[in-house]
Amino acid sequence: MTERTNSKSNYSRRHALRLMAIGGAAGLIAPNLLGKPAFAQNPPASPTGRVVVGFSQEPTVFNPLMPHTECDDAVHFSVFDALVRMDPKGVLQPNLVVEVPSQDNGGISEDGLLWRIRLRDDVRWHDGQPFTAEDVKFTLELITNPKFRAWRTAGHSLVRDIKVVSPTELTWRMEEAFAPYLSFLAETFMVPKHILEKEADPNAAAFNQAPVGTGAFKWAQRIAGDHIELVANTDYAGEGPYLERLVFKYIPDMTVLYTQFKSGDIDLVDQAFITADNYAEASTLPDRVVMLERGASVESIYLNLEKPQFKDPAVRQALYAAIDRKAILEGLYYGVHNPTETFMPQNSYYYNPNLPAQEFNIERARQILDEAGWVPGADGIRVKDGVRLSFANSTTSGNHLREQTQQFLQQTFAEIGVEMTISNLPAAVMWGDFWLKSQFESAISGVTNVIAGDPDVTNRLHTKAIVAKGGKGSNTGQYSNPEVDALLDKGTRTFDREERRAIYLRVQEIVRQDLPFLPLFAYANVFGRKEGLAGFEANSNTRVASWHAAGWHWKD
Amino acid sequence: MRGFLLNRLSQSLILLLIVSVIGFVVLNLLPGGPLAQFGLDPGMTQDDLDRLKEQLGLNRPLWMQYLDWAWRLLQGDWGNSFRDGAPVLSVIGRHVFATLLLMGTSTAIAIAIGTWIGIRGATHRYSLFDHLATVGAMVALSIPTFWFGLVGIYIFSLKLGWVPAGNMYTIGDGSVLNYLHHLILPSLVLSLVHVAIWSRYMRTSTLDAISQDFVKTARAKGLSERRVIMKHVVGNALLPMITLAGVQLPSILTGALVTETVFTWPGMGRLFLDSLGYSDYPVVMGLLMFSAILVILGNLIADIAVAIVDPRIRLG
Amino acid sequence: MTALVANTGPSRWWRSRTVRRFTSHHLALLGVAMIMLLTLACVFGPHLLPYDSLYIDLRARFSPPLTGDHYLGTDPLGRDLAARLLMAGRISLAVAFFAMLLSTLIGTLVGVIAGYRGGWIGAALMRTVDGFLSFPSIFLLLALAAALKPSPAMVTVIIAVTSWMEVARIVEAEVRSLREREFVLAGRMLGLSGAHIMFREILPNAMGPIIVAATLTVAHAILLEAYISFLGYGIQPPLASWGNMLEGAQQYLASAPWLAIIPGAAITIAVTSFNFIGDGLRDALDVRDDRV
Repeated sequence: MTERTNSKSNYSRRHALRLMAIGGAAGLIAPNLLGKPAFAQNPPASPTGRVVVGFSQEPTVFNPLMPHTECDDAVHFSVFDALVRMDPKGVLQPNLVVEVPSQDNGGISEDGLLWRIRLRDDVRWHDGQPFTAEDVKFTLELITNPKFRAWRTAGHSLVRDIKVVSPTELTWRMEEAFAPYLSFLAETFMVPKHILEKEADPNAAAFNQAPVGTGAFKWAQRIAGDHIELVANTDYAGEGPYLERLVFKYIPDMTVLYTQFKSGDIDLVDQAFITADNYAEASTLPDRVVMLERGASVESIYLNLEKPQFKDPAVRQALYAAIDRKAILEGLYYGVHNPTETFMPQNSYYYNPNLPAQEFNIERARQILDEAGWVPGADGIRVKDGVRLSFANSTTSGNHLREQTQQFLQQTFAEIGVEMTISNLPAAVMWGDFWLKSQFESAISGVTNVIAGDPDVTNRLHTKAIVAKGGKGSNTGQYSNPEVDALLDKGTRTFDREERRAIYLRVQEIVRQDLPFLPLFAYANVFGRKEGLAGFEANSNTRVASWHAAGWHWKD
Repeated sequence: MRGFLLNRLSQSLILLLIVSVIGFVVLNLLPGGPLAQFGLDPGMTQDDLDRLKEQLGLNRPLWMQYLDWAWRLLQGDWGNSFRDGAPVLSVIGRHVFATLLLMGTSTAIAIAIGTWIGIRGATHRYSLFDHLATVGAMVALSIPTFWFGLVGIYIFSLKLGWVPAGNMYTIGDGSVLNYLHHLILPSLVLSLVHVAIWSRYMRTSTLDAISQDFVKTARAKGLSERRVIMKHVVGNALLPMITLAGVQLPSILTGALVTETVFTWPGMGRLFLDSLGYSDYPVVMGLLMFSAILVILGNLIADIAVAIVDPRIRLG
Repeated sequence: MTALVANTGPSRWWRSRTVRRFTSHHLALLGVAMIMLLTLACVFGPHLLPYDSLYIDLRARFSPPLTGDHYLGTDPLGRDLAARLLMAGRISLAVAFFAMLLSTLIGTLVGVIAGYRGGWIGAALMRTVDGFLSFPSIFLLLALAAALKPSPAMVTVIIAVTSWMEVARIVEAEVRSLREREFVLAGRMLGLSGAHIMFREILPNAMGPIIVAATLTVAHAILLEAYISFLGYGIQPPLASWGNMLEGAQQYLASAPWLAIIPGAAITIAVTSFNFIGDGLRDALDVRDDRV
């Protein structure tokens, strides 16, 4: 295999070496401009070997356009391709397109309304049919087909007049300028027209249980409740795959998941990764690489700002000052996660590192409340204008670490004369109307605020996203600030990266000041894999570790 | 006999109706619902959720949803899972094997040990063994199964390392030996309660048989006590146990639920918990009907068995 | 046996012989002693311990048993396990006791009416009992616990709602057999009201089986509370119950096994004791052995 001096692998090796020489360790996480893993040295000439990836949830939805959760992404990323790919740096790379459309290259008009997409001409579906612009048109139209149970339609619902210019080119018009759509396309996988157009009911198509894509791996079989097996697509248009088989194994228990990683039954731990309490031990395992990677989720206490207790900014500041984040992070979460002051992922280009740092200070918290006129009542709980400073806190029941955090907070809040009760609910109840329609008083939740790395948070923080007030979105804390609204509106219309950065840095500043929610920490994910597995890269702009299995291979 | 069966059938149908109505109502009492799993998805707007609700028919009045479900069921369509869109029957079917394997093994263990304890207890009535067996059975029935499982895992898996802590088999190793290795601890834990129940019933049943005339006759013929017990008593004592087996049939689902959770066993109990957690109504309803049918079947088998064993009872 | 009970009249049936039989049942006495001990410990114990069951001390987390004054060690938040165990006992025992009262009440009511009235009312009631029995009880428990806020009172109600059927069946059978007895017929001829006959004449004669069933229901209720709390649907933190103390314990089985072993042992002791008492009562009251 080493005899074959393939230009691809040569390039990649040289490139990796150069990067490492320039940036030292930083070179290891720097992306290759073609979206290839930076240190993919010596991949085999033909696909060899098998990788078993462990999940704590079972992938069950294989039509990538239908409603699904994180773990399903792993299958979609491996079997299908999207037009573009978001690399670990948050930069869009071409996947099925020849170049990422932008205002500079004319792919997007100056007003952001006209889009022109140029496709690769060498891509084939797993059944041998050529992939063309017709498939793209079909996919985008299927998403907004009222009969089809589509997943996200945000952005897609703005697309009008899709025209196929040639098999490799198509255009469309946007109802309004919407910059995040480009990133959304990185999570919009293309499905084959020639298979799905024959189906009377796309919701019940056989395709949904045995998908056909253009991706690096082909569907082989699924043993429900156990594992999914994919095989190499040797005709893959992009780089790779280097593995003959890819197995996604479902292990419904995090402890067992880790044990199987330890014993070597699993080569890579994917969603929901290695638990924090096992991190220290995992790092010492022989022949295993364990990496602590910053994730996109932020754990926060969400306050329902329409409740009288939380309307006073002083209360929010006092509560924030009364959180012993150090004790929570180090004591309960084993020091794995990182303190943060914002909703933006810390890896993001749009992350604002210059926000004032929270300081745990009980005295200060008491003082803020005293000054604001909250006076302790007979039972020691503060009262102001007839409002008792008492509230319930909810989260998913059975989440032990969160329950411990709640009980710990309860004790410190009591010290400043605030009563917090705990009222946890099963997941299907907690995150339904109770959460979406703002029926909670306060909640602890780990939320990913951005989609595919795009910084737009209209859905979370814009006044028009408050469902309880007739809006459309998930601004469940009912935060409303006209300045933030205006900035968010501007952000979705702006395509220039630098301009957008300035906008979102400012949004983070205002939100830090207003404290509509109290950030506890930014999640870090503990990725674990066998040392021999090369070509692996973490990507916090995707929800799974298996976002680019095409580049994985075993070291010889 | 035919009248009995017809009567039973109509009663069973009413029972299924009651079960399905109660199940449907209780299930829909839960706030939230199957779309709650997308509540934290940053890209799902309220528009999307409302649209899906309508597409899934979840915004219709409850009675209409129920009638729709029941009508389809009568036509043999159990519906599709909300989670993976697969037909409910095939979803249940995939989990039946694991549960049957676990329940079958533990029942076999329970019958073997329980029969022995029961017979020995009856033939050595009021002996130390009998007393210990009585007390042991009562204690066994008092231990929470999941806790017994945890203690078992702690001792035999974590401390001694003899058996795996969970799962049905090791990935990539589908050998029978591997399955057996994983099966030992959960099936023993699960059999504890069954041994207790089985041994108690077997003891009573054997005592009844011993006092029968034919046993006295056999003894009078001068057969050895061992032969009398083995040939005449055991056989007759085991017959009524069919009733017990029938009554125990429905516990296939519930009995294994907690054990499957502790040992991460991919069976129907876990499926039930998962589906309830996701509010996957069609699957939960399917499992409910499945278990209700098992209850009815179990009772029927029990009644028929009793009638066959005891000719004095006429079904009708 | 029932004839004998009926003849001796409703007021004296449980005296002398019954008490003598019960006190000669060693296991039953052991059960009574254990329950009294447990109850006393749960009532007075927490006042004697140096720690509050809710006091969090992260520096002391995961202390094994016999660390300083932490006789049974501490939990993941550094709370004293002994204090929590006893406070949990209060909740678990109270929940089980009141669930027993409530379910016995429901079961008796349904059973008496169904057994005495018979006819279509009886049939309808008993079919409902069958319907409830055809459910995996864990389903009703979990579904109800998920729908309602699981406070201790609510958990009590939920357990009662799912465990009254056994009592109803026993009482119905008993009442049906008593219905045609002389003393009932006599009462009817005297023109006593149906309610009077049902509850003043028949019910006292069915007390034996009810008491036995009630005792066993306490044992059952303790287990049910433990099951639903273990699965995360029961009593919510920071309040401790024996069940929810076990909830997170599996996660720490390797590093802190006492978290799992101690509460489970408490449950087993309590449930065993109630089963012993039930067994003793069954012998003493001469109730047919139709449960194990």
